[in-house]
Amino acid sequence: MKRWAGPLAVLLLCAVGAHALTLHFTPAVIMDRAMAALATRGVALHAFTSPQRVTPQTQSVVRSSPDLYYALCRYDLGDPAARLTVRMGAWPDYQSLAFFDARTDNFATLRGTGRAIAVGLLPPGSAPQAGAIVSPSERGVILIRRLAPTAERYAAAAEAGKADACSLEPVSG
Amino acid sequence: MRGALRYLVGVVAGSLLGLGSALWLAGLWPARSNMAFGDIDVGGWRSDFATGSEAADPYTRARVARHGLLALAKTEAVYFTRATDESGAPLREGCSYRLSGGQMPAGWWSVTLYDAASMLPANTDGALSIDAWRAGGGAWSAIVAPERPADGSLWISSRGSGTFDLTLRLYMPDAALLADPNAALSPPVIKRLSCGEGGR
Repeated sequence: MKRWAGPLAVLLLCAVGAHALTLHFTPAVIMDRAMAALATRGVALHAFTSPQRVTPQTQSVVRSSPDLYYALCRYDLGDPAARLTVRMGAWPDYQSLAFFDARTDNFATLRGTGRAIAVGLLPPGSAPQAGAIVSPSERGVILIRRLAPTAERYAAAAEAGKADACSLEPVSG
Repeated sequence: MRGALRYLVGVVAGSLLGLGSALWLAGLWPARSNMAFGDIDVGGWRSDFATGSEAADPYTRARVARHGLLALAKTEAVYFTRATDESGAPLREGCSYRLSGGQMPAGWWSVTLYDAASMLPANTDGALSIDAWRAGGGAWSAIVAPERPADGSLWISSRGSGTFDLTLRLYMPDAALLADPNAALSPPVIKRLSCGEGGR
């Protein structure tokens, strides 16, 4: 029995370690795969892309809502001398501008019902600035949602989306 | 040599045990789970208000990453999911249900049907959800079934879904809902009407 004491201890240690590592890395791995899938489906880097209205045939992300207009922007703030400038055009109903980091955390959301919003996104570790948000990770996704439960409202939301912008710009000064 | 082999067995078995237990507890393996989980249970509708936030425990974080990627934090929206009817039986395509409710403590709400893979079912019925706009104010009801109800009722199509769940989205939730969901929310009721061919 004593001969198995050491291997059993190793088994327990490996089980605990593998358990913790799996949980730690799973969100980042899934987010990484999701971002790769979004890129494959044409979601641009540093520009808003609006997929087609969500249907069973067009859905690309789990649990998408068929009642919402979505616009996505992938970002990569690997260059510390650059910042992302994000604008969400005006929309009379509910709309929001949500930021997700590489571990899937929704680290900021700005609600813009009836108004336009402009905000900067800074690389991790940046000093806080007025009118800007610091991203916890270099890479992530920005998602605009607009309430658009009918085909007519969806078409109107897409028209409003022409005022959306997501662009990488050099830090001034 | 045998000693080294025992240690090797310990490493392999332990790693597999840790990997499998993590995936199982997070609902990622086997492909069994949906979003009907969380520490909040209001009339059988489950939610975890830590969804989308840094406060989410690692199991919630992993499950949401798989089944609810890009979900909003609770200040903007909360999500409740139910995978069983009022009798506790799993929701399935072969049955029809009456979904009924009233006003919700939020600026806007919707109920959407998802299959076991957390995707919209592969049908072309154009009846994937109902929402506050379509239901109007006050009491409402809808039929969840694979075929359109003949009486013109609101309809959520379950055609092609197999077993499914319903997700209640509550956008711009009232402060009272976040503080005490059991007191603030009267969730929709899911009553099974019949089972069999065509669901009705």
